[in-house]
Amino acid sequence: MEENILEIKRLTKHFGGVHAVQNLSVVFARGAITGIIGPNGSGKTTLVNLLTGMLPMDGGVIVSDGATLRRMRAHEARFYGITRTFQNIRLFEQMTVLDNLLVVLTERRVFASLFERHGAYHLKKAEALLRQVGLWEKHNELALHLSYGQRKLLEIARAIGTDARVFLFDEPFAGLFPEMREIVKRQLEALREQGAAVLLIEHNTELIRQLSDYVVVLDSGKLLAEGKPESVLRRRDVLEAYLGE
Amino acid sequence: MDLFVQLTINGVIAGAIYALIALGFALIFGVTKFFNLAHGAVAVVGGYAAFFFLEHAGLGVLPAAALAVCVAGMVGFALHKTVFLPLRRRQATNLVLLIAALGLLTVIQALIAMFFGSQFHPLSQFAGAQEVYRIAGGAITLVQLIIIISALAVFGLLTLFLKKTKFGKAVKAIGDDEEVAQIVGINTHAIIGYVFFIGSAIAGLGGVLVGFDTGIEPTMGLSLLLKGIIAAIVGGVGSLSGAVLGAFLLGLAENLGIWHISGEWKDAIAFGILIFFLIWRPRGILPR
Ligand SMILES: Nc1ncnc2c1ncn2[C@@H]1O[C@H](COP(=O)(O)OP(=O)(O)OP(=O)(O)O)[C@@H](O)[C@H]1O
Ligand SMILES: [Mg+2]
Repeated sequence: MEENILEIKRLTKHFGGVHAVQNLSVVFARGAITGIIGPNGSGKTTLVNLLTGMLPMDGGVIVSDGATLRRMRAHEARFYGITRTFQNIRLFEQMTVLDNLLVVLTERRVFASLFERHGAYHLKKAEALLRQVGLWEKHNELALHLSYGQRKLLEIARAIGTDARVFLFDEPFAGLFPEMREIVKRQLEALREQGAAVLLIEHNTELIRQLSDYVVVLDSGKLLAEGKPESVLRRRDVLEAYLGE
Repeated sequence: MDLFVQLTINGVIAGAIYALIALGFALIFGVTKFFNLAHGAVAVVGGYAAFFFLEHAGLGVLPAAALAVCVAGMVGFALHKTVFLPLRRRQATNLVLLIAALGLLTVIQALIAMFFGSQFHPLSQFAGAQEVYRIAGGAITLVQLIIIISALAVFGLLTLFLKKTKFGKAVKAIGDDEEVAQIVGINTHAIIGYVFFIGSAIAGLGGVLVGFDTGIEPTMGLSLLLKGIIAAIVGGVGSLSGAVLGAFLLGLAENLGIWHISGEWKDAIAFGILIFFLIWRPRGILPR
């Protein structure tokens, strides 16, 4: 109980006749990176959408810190310490790089926020995060004007800036150059170090092998295999699911 | 020449009133992305609340006006809490929200007519005789001067407030992407509630000032609303500076447009401008 922050039981979602997620039960451990792999359309993003309440679930439950939830809504995700990034990157485009971070560092007391400016504490924290991903030089630019890779890094930094304990990264490495990949790797490892539960959706099995403590393989929304990366990535059915796509 | 000066002054006054309506409308639209037609009703509520405090509670002009502005803000907040928020939680489309807001506008105007009657009430009767100033051959009353100053001050303060505070940044983030704002932990529902309060209070101020300048009647909500919306669209929906620019442009065009034709053409001019912008520049002068 203690080390599982998040668990799903018989989670189900379908779109008309398409079973995007079927009867899926997985445990996500604290202080671990759980890799999620599977061919295109196997339900990985749908799983993240369900976990963050961006899609209503059709069946099953989410167990978060012992609370059993039959329904999750987007504005509740933060309450359960869950945050995410998006496969198609969603930033606050009209805001500067710095403001993209400052806005998530703010405490929840809305009334006080009416009268307060971001103080030195928030600025320092935002600066540290931006330096961590190598974006400090860009802090005054609008998010809109960043390159693809920089946008990905900013989105990851923004997720880390929240006080979440469960991080769902939807293909954070996709399309990144090697040096940016290294930055992302370091961020994920640091989160694991701090005891967070990290979900990593990734197509590159080499990265999965390097980073994940545990791997979950999805195929047509169903659990195909799970276990340590060394053993799972060697399984014939897993390889076939990938080669068959 | 004097007529031209007077029409210009009238245009600026009208523009300031439209700006007060358009600012709140644009602020609310910026975070919710739906056309809050009930915004017009909130302005009426402001005007009638002032009337109530002056006539029935015997308050002075300033306390009555201040309280009325708060009442308008609270009514806007209550509409959000009881109608718009539940609808948005149920994933209602913007069309549904628009129709709900139209219903609220109608109901609130009708309720006000039931309680206060539908006759016209000039609030200036409570303020005593008014100073009239002369500028370059035109005349402007004290209230009208206050209207212009209020509109500019509200615009300046609101802009500064949104730029500097944590709240303002959250408002901007919600305007950019509400769903993502929720996911990264911004308390969107609470913030939108405050936005409704602030935007509605500004509209309420507009209603109060119109009441002191000319007077109040239950149906004034719709006409104020339409001018506010036209101003917001002309300026670029969701942009505050655009809303103010659009408002003054509209006020001036309406008033200068009738220099050589009869005053009945004002509304036709306003809608002509709207149609022109919808066709030729739908994103307005200063798109967000
Ligand atoms: N909002 C939606 N409406 C309808 N169908 C959807 C929706 N979202 C996903 N699907 C369908 O559900 C299935 C799973 O999609 P999902 O995006 O979860 O796959 P994925 O594993 O993330 O794929 P990829 O590797 O391409 O990102 C697909 O068949 C997809 O077409
Ligand atoms: Mg996906």
